[in-house]
Amino acid sequence: MGYRFLGATVSLVLLATGPAAAQSTEITIWSWNVAASALKSTLEGFNKKYPDIKVAVQDLGNDQVFDKSLAACAAGGDGLPDIVTIENFEAELFWNRFPDCFTDLTALGYTPKQQALFPEFKRTELEIDGTAYAMPWDSGPVAVFYRRDFYEKAGVDPTTIKTWDDFLAAGKKVMEVNPGTVMAQADFNGDSEWFRMLSNEQGCGYFSTDGQSITINQPACVATLDKIKQMKDAGIITAAIWDEKIQANTAGRTASQVFGAWYEGTIRSGSPDLAGKWGVYPMPSLTADGPRAANLGGSSLAISEVSENKEAAFKFVEYALTTNEGQVSMLKSFGLVPSLLSAIEDPFVKEKQAYWGDQAVWTDILSTLPKIKPARGTAFQADADGVYKAVQAKYFANGYPDAKTALDDAAKQIETATGLPIAE
Amino acid sequence: MRVHNRIAYAFLAPYLLIFATFWLWPIISSFLISFQNTRVNPWRFAPSMNWGRLVSDPAFYNALYNTLIILVIQVPVMIALATVMAVLLNSPLLKARPLYRFAFFAPVVVGEVAYAAVFRLMFSADFGIINKIIGTVGFAPVSWFDNGTAAMALVIMAVTWRWAGYNAIIILAGLQSIPGDVYEAATLDRVGKVQQFFHITLPLLKPIILFCIVLSVIGTMQLFAEPFLITNRGGPGGATETLGLLLYRQGFTSLNFGYASAIAYTIAGLAVAISLLNLFFGREAK
Amino acid sequence: MRSKSRSLLMRRVALHAALTPLAIIWLFPLWMMFVFSTMSDYGIFSPDIVLWPSTGFIENFQNLQADTDFLRAMFISITVAVIYTILSVMLTSMAGWALARYHFKGRSVVIAIILGTITLPFAVVVIPQFIMVAREFKLANTWVALIVPPLFNSLGVLFMRQAFSMMPTELFDAARVEGVKEWRIFLHIALPLARPTMAALSIILFLASWNNYLWPLLINSKPGMMTAPVALGTLIGLTKVSWGGIMAGAVLLTAPILFVFIFLQRHFISGITAGAVK
Repeated sequence: MGYRFLGATVSLVLLATGPAAAQSTEITIWSWNVAASALKSTLEGFNKKYPDIKVAVQDLGNDQVFDKSLAACAAGGDGLPDIVTIENFEAELFWNRFPDCFTDLTALGYTPKQQALFPEFKRTELEIDGTAYAMPWDSGPVAVFYRRDFYEKAGVDPTTIKTWDDFLAAGKKVMEVNPGTVMAQADFNGDSEWFRMLSNEQGCGYFSTDGQSITINQPACVATLDKIKQMKDAGIITAAIWDEKIQANTAGRTASQVFGAWYEGTIRSGSPDLAGKWGVYPMPSLTADGPRAANLGGSSLAISEVSENKEAAFKFVEYALTTNEGQVSMLKSFGLVPSLLSAIEDPFVKEKQAYWGDQAVWTDILSTLPKIKPARGTAFQADADGVYKAVQAKYFANGYPDAKTALDDAAKQIETATGLPIAE
Repeated sequence: MRVHNRIAYAFLAPYLLIFATFWLWPIISSFLISFQNTRVNPWRFAPSMNWGRLVSDPAFYNALYNTLIILVIQVPVMIALATVMAVLLNSPLLKARPLYRFAFFAPVVVGEVAYAAVFRLMFSADFGIINKIIGTVGFAPVSWFDNGTAAMALVIMAVTWRWAGYNAIIILAGLQSIPGDVYEAATLDRVGKVQQFFHITLPLLKPIILFCIVLSVIGTMQLFAEPFLITNRGGPGGATETLGLLLYRQGFTSLNFGYASAIAYTIAGLAVAISLLNLFFGREAK
Repeated sequence: MRSKSRSLLMRRVALHAALTPLAIIWLFPLWMMFVFSTMSDYGIFSPDIVLWPSTGFIENFQNLQADTDFLRAMFISITVAVIYTILSVMLTSMAGWALARYHFKGRSVVIAIILGTITLPFAVVVIPQFIMVAREFKLANTWVALIVPPLFNSLGVLFMRQAFSMMPTELFDAARVEGVKEWRIFLHIALPLARPTMAALSIILFLASWNNYLWPLLINSKPGMMTAPVALGTLIGLTKVSWGGIMAGAVLLTAPILFVFIFLQRHFISGITAGAVK
């Protein structure tokens, strides 16, 4: 990715901007379900601007995009499309193992001015040593999605729920009045989303933000795990895997779900008959004056090094991600929260949403964005997550005397697996 | 048999050609990779890194333990069940034999994705038909994906469901090759049916049952699809993570090819060792 | 006499009483797959116990077809499986014949290769193999890549070897005395005798190809080149899951094979007999 590449780009850019460039090019994108559909929703606007660039969005499923991109990168990029959707927390794995697989966007016109359009916490994992491997797309500010009718019946006012202890107490009331319903669900079986959300809120994570040490056994993380177990033991959170949560939403077996904001699209499109019954409130915190903001998930778009139409690909990425028009159309159609700061001022964000009982949910959710602390996935995210899930299961089964011992053990195991030191 | 180098290799040529072209190098290369540190760029030779980690990795021992549990519980249960199925299917009194045979064998043809999706729906904690049926009988519902023991039981049931019929058909074939006059003589000597089964049928079936056990051992050592697709990637918290799944997680999720290769060769070595042990004890007892 | 036929009747009843519940349990998941494929998602997740099909199959199928071009994927899967099965039966028969009937230098090496590769998990070979096929041979997104590498099938060779080595040697020796060439002996005497084994092996190979997931997922990235299991896989874990649609796909994926199995059952059973019984 040196001068040779830069030179080629410059000459191509010159060619492309010249009058002889009215040739039709076709670019391909790998993405998955809602994300893919959201990208498709931007095509109409994009082709008004660039009628000569045809975009084919391939909806392959989340795991499959990861597996295929991995194999293709291992093969030197052969078989990659022009643009690949990459989840943020998996991103560093790609840059770390295959630094030549994706192209440096700064060479294509991703200027510092454009970079500044995105919040810092979204860029930490995508830019390494001045190379921008991908552009931030959506983010997942965490919120509580709740059933208005269930809460009301129990006389619970969500604005009074400020701490997780409040949440626990409210949960008991809600469950008493609505038999067969649980306060919230967590994927204790195959995921670690509750720990990642709550610890991120407390400014803790598997690794330090510089990615150089293990911080999973820091006090804030210990307090988080402790609180999750309390809520689980009280019976207000039950275990449910991804599809069980969706089933429970539709069947009215859960009073709330805590998730990244992208879950908005899932509830809305998954349970269309429940329009008006759902609402949103900010996530509680450990203390009443806590930040009440965290991030879970979110993706980015990267352009492959083997792409023969990098300029055209960049034009699409630029349109879809750096313009309000592109980002807001994805928010509207599929609830993907723009990480583009200016999109937050779009009039649509202030609109009341009929599905959500005329609440202006986006104003509420997006207002937490500035308070979110960065969390680093690092190239060892998968290792740490695997260790954490096993430790969590053991701790819930009372395999450790307390949360501190559990996370100390987790830290030690992550140290063995990654070779990183445990932070003091 | 006759010595015919040229002719033999002429027959083997296409097969060996495909092996040499598409398989030889990947097999060698993955072995070499197991001695490299694959977490740096470029990869470096570090002979003890992956193998050293293997012997001290709790995740490895957890996966090994889970795999052995399945091996010790599922394989004998399935083979015993398959033998019972075969003996019953072999009875001359049976009507509509093809129908029963079809029922037991049908699971074998179902693809992994389809089969996993059905099991996930059937065993869903809140909505699954299994828990609904358990509920009508008056028992508490089981959270199949949340309880480690239940999840393991689910994996064992799923694998048994899928492969018992396959083994039953193989054993049935063995039963049919036992000459009938052996039993006639025994009946004349007033040996009971149950005794006949244990003293005549089982000993004669031994080579076939051993064959089934070896196939099942190899299959179990590589077991991947059920814990990956049904119990949510070895969940809860690794309670159903098998060696095959650990290998996949290291190779495809953590992109640690070196460690994944070390695990793979451990799996292969264990499979060979356990199979040989089986064959050895099978012969010994004769 | 009476009491004898009576006890026979009792035993017959007992036999069926034991086997029928077992058969019902075994067919139950397949039946539920079919039932789910005819239900709406609301029906699937209702609190009632539903054991009888509803009428939504067509609608579910339309949803599935809208999400992914499943019919095209089925067509690709069938084409690949048919070509693969024919080629693979040929290759494994030839190799099995050589191992069963000739002494030759390096025989133990070939046997070691075959036994060794059975126990090696495919997942570890798949990455270097993918790199080789995609980068060195430039074969990504081709029918060749989809069909040829999986042709290496050691279990199949063992299967055929077993069948050939069970045939009486005199059969072939007589032909040799008359000066018949070896390949003619193979083609005209041995292969026809091995037909049941080949039929059984064909079913197993067809199944393996039909259900193969990881390799086709990785090697084919072109749109419209997805095989049916890969296409179905894209739908699982979706945000907006249509379970009825997935089940409809599962039924379409399973039904043809079950259908074939019903008709070839006899061949299949006798083939396994030949392969497994010494």
